[in-house]
Amino acid sequence: MSDLDKAIAQLRACRPIPEAQVRELCHKARELLIEEGNVVTVTAPVTICGDIHGQFHDLMELFRVGGDVPDTNYLFMGDFVDRGFYSLESFLLLLCLKVRYPDRMTLIRGNHESRQITTVYGFYDECLRKYGSANVWRYCCDVFDYLALGAIVLGASNNMSPNPDSSETESDQDVEIEVCNADGQIMTQFSRKPRGRGGRGRSPNGATASATSNGIGPAVPGGPINSGPPGSGASGYSGGSVGNPAGAVLCVHGGLSPLIDTVDKIRLLDRKQEVPHEGAMCDLLWSDPDEIDGWGLSPRGAGFLFGADIVRVFNHRNDLSLIARAHQLVMEGFKEMFSASIVTVWSAPNYCYRCGNVAALLELSEDDSGLGIFARSNGDVGRSDGNGGNGPRGVLMENDPSEPKSGPARRYRVFQAAPQDSRGMPAKKPVADYFL
Amino acid sequence: MEPPAPHGPPAARTTPTNPFPKLEILPQSSVAARHFLHPVKHINDGPDVAHFLTSKAYRDIGVFVLQLNHALVPRKKSASTVAPHTGAAGRAAAVANTQFFPLNAPRRDPQAVLRLRELLDRVEGIIDEAPPDPGPRRFGNVSFRRWHEMLEARAEGLLREFLPEDVVRGFGEERGDEAGPLDELKAYFLGGFGSSQRLDYGTGHELSILAFLGCLWKLGGFVQVGEGEERVDGEIERSIVLGVIEPYLKVIRRLILTYTLEPAGSHGVWGLDDHAFLPYIFGSAQLARPITDSEPTPLEGSAPGAPRPGDVVKADAVARHRETNMYFSAVGFINDVKKGPFWEHSPILFDVSGIKDGWGKINKGMIKMFNAEVLSKFPVVQHFPFGSLFSWDVDPDAVAPITSVHMANQPVAAAATAAAAAKTSLGVGGVGTAAPWAQATRMPGGPALSGGPGIPYSQGPWSGGGSAGPSVPRGGPSDVGPAPSTEFPRGVPGRASNQFTVTKAPWAKD
Repeated sequence: MSDLDKAIAQLRACRPIPEAQVRELCHKARELLIEEGNVVTVTAPVTICGDIHGQFHDLMELFRVGGDVPDTNYLFMGDFVDRGFYSLESFLLLLCLKVRYPDRMTLIRGNHESRQITTVYGFYDECLRKYGSANVWRYCCDVFDYLALGAIVLGASNNMSPNPDSSETESDQDVEIEVCNADGQIMTQFSRKPRGRGGRGRSPNGATASATSNGIGPAVPGGPINSGPPGSGASGYSGGSVGNPAGAVLCVHGGLSPLIDTVDKIRLLDRKQEVPHEGAMCDLLWSDPDEIDGWGLSPRGAGFLFGADIVRVFNHRNDLSLIARAHQLVMEGFKEMFSASIVTVWSAPNYCYRCGNVAALLELSEDDSGLGIFARSNGDVGRSDGNGGNGPRGVLMENDPSEPKSGPARRYRVFQAAPQDSRGMPAKKPVADYFL
Repeated sequence: MEPPAPHGPPAARTTPTNPFPKLEILPQSSVAARHFLHPVKHINDGPDVAHFLTSKAYRDIGVFVLQLNHALVPRKKSASTVAPHTGAAGRAAAVANTQFFPLNAPRRDPQAVLRLRELLDRVEGIIDEAPPDPGPRRFGNVSFRRWHEMLEARAEGLLREFLPEDVVRGFGEERGDEAGPLDELKAYFLGGFGSSQRLDYGTGHELSILAFLGCLWKLGGFVQVGEGEERVDGEIERSIVLGVIEPYLKVIRRLILTYTLEPAGSHGVWGLDDHAFLPYIFGSAQLARPITDSEPTPLEGSAPGAPRPGDVVKADAVARHRETNMYFSAVGFINDVKKGPFWEHSPILFDVSGIKDGWGKINKGMIKMFNAEVLSKFPVVQHFPFGSLFSWDVDPDAVAPITSVHMANQPVAAAATAAAAAKTSLGVGGVGTAAPWAQATRMPGGPALSGGPGIPYSQGPWSGGGSAGPSVPRGGPSDVGPAPSTEFPRGVPGRASNQFTVTKAPWAKD
């Protein structure tokens, strides 16, 4: 058993590894990450995850639900640290897995992977407490600077892969979205057709999808009544997904930037630095989609708000069918917005021990047809051929509502916080100096 | 037993029965001629915290907290009777010889305190007029803005109605445009109920209500004519804490639950509590080793019969004591809202529960921690406004700030780039925001902030021999900086809006 495998085993048991080993691990990780571009290319199948925030036991639950590494390929969209009790163990485990299985594990940077944010939101405190010094915090922050800013998923299938856990054996070619529970049972499915009247959603007990409407509402105000899946505007709104039906999926922690109109512009950034307070790199990690037109000021004080039109134009210009991002708590674990052109994935259940939310991961399966996606989309620029994406040849025109395929087939697995009874109570630690 | 610490900044009044500093009650004659101010914020940048720590406001906050704290400590009924601490009979005798100040014991609250409770009832009643928005669940319910608007609209009327007439007289009509006492009171009062913009609540807001009560104290609001004479020393202070602050905290807890207010300035699980600090100070005082009125606040030891510190982690014990003790009341609220192992979601409180030297020790630590984590933290105190009663003026007797371990421990000189550093106009150089408070007011514990920043814990058992104990390398360069190593902004640049479910940029301006 190699040292790395030993470290993985120790971290899986939720025990931190010694400082010297952290240093070595971080050094190796940096050597690996420095070779990655700002936008990593990933091929399906891949399982996309959102914020973790130091919820180690829930991360273990995620692996249980989504499949273990290296059997499942994972893409984590940042915010591994802060707020939770086990930021250290969670991040170091993910980093170990990255070093051990570099092609099966993709980590991109979240706004919390930053020196300044971790001093305010807990990771710095945690490292001091667990190691008695800030060295480990410093090693980790140095790795943060090398994390990619985004990823492009290619080769995702338009057809839902068979669900091995489901008793329903049929492989429905028309299923666009499938929502499963932690045991793999299908809770709801949503077909690509018919659109506008809602999908043929069904659940194991036969309830229709429209009955699952939960207050999230349609993605577009004034639109028809949403009858899509929880957190989805995909099927309840005319036209369904916009953008290139065979396009790639862009993964980024926060969202878009007014300074970035093509994925290639992300590739040109100098990412190896602390997250700046403004600018393109900051925006990618801080922005949020919102029900507005164009761009808006973010209440967070960093990044921007961006509306459906921004996503539509960006996706079209870059041949993207979907943007997957994290960064915002979603009570249902995931939320598709803007006619399923962007989805928020959130992977920290019962966030901060009190929010009562469920978590989700997003599975994109492999396209076995060997057609289409590779040929048509690599996330590069130049696909719009001078149209600029703003011209009268709008994407809506291109997006024929009768088009049966739009966007990759998406399987969401929804899961709850890990049971706590398995966690023993630790010995009380020496108290802070205030109490000495 | 530790020797009584010397006491007494010059501004503090001393009385024969109580040799400890108290917040000065302004003579009625001077109030009439006093030049009041519209309170304004002065802490705009990291270094301003250092000024704050030498200000009269800082001194007065410290004096007031210690004064209230001292009053909460159980009293020996007769100093001469030293009960033997052996056997059940001895323990019973010790308990019998101790006067406790639990939440639910009958008190002779002064009229002003009764009226403040009515005021709180009215404030709480506004919740019924602004029911939480049933729409899509996002953390921080927008209806809190409506609640807060109503509070703002009614604040002046409420204060006029419920504060003693002597105190509010001279405001407005008599004074024209000039500021009056009510202007100062109102600023702190409104500052005590969370941020309607950020939909959050934190220790900065709690500090504001403390200042509100401090203003009222200074203006003589708690000693009404004919009422003060027959009172026992410390009785009014106890009424303020048990009869106003605890009911205030209950209102706040209801606001937090109703509108899912986010914690302001949160360090996640690594903070003491998401929202509150004062109940941990006063609640530990309630259980500390009994003293006489002339003895200083104990630095260790528990009252006979008090629950043990370890009971904090036991849900049933918390349920049992939350109606009598403020510490347990606060922990009870945590247990209400959080799901998961206590030691995970509240590791600081968990560790404190292992303290062997009793509630006196915990009390001493809480006061030091309050000084470091609330009063010395830019994100928390930046919203505190200063008027004439809590003044930005320098306290001539303040000890010059020293560079504390606290500041030195802030992450420094990490590998931020020049570009990033150039942008950090905010919060840079939180120079030695030392804590003279502990010295100036001779707080238990003596030297300011020997403790580190948030979490200066000792080494974990697994961390091997490589790193040496709690001594944190200070500001050394990172081992391999990928970019030109420039100074990382020190002093926890940030703001009270640091939310927990929605991360906000610490450098953001309002």
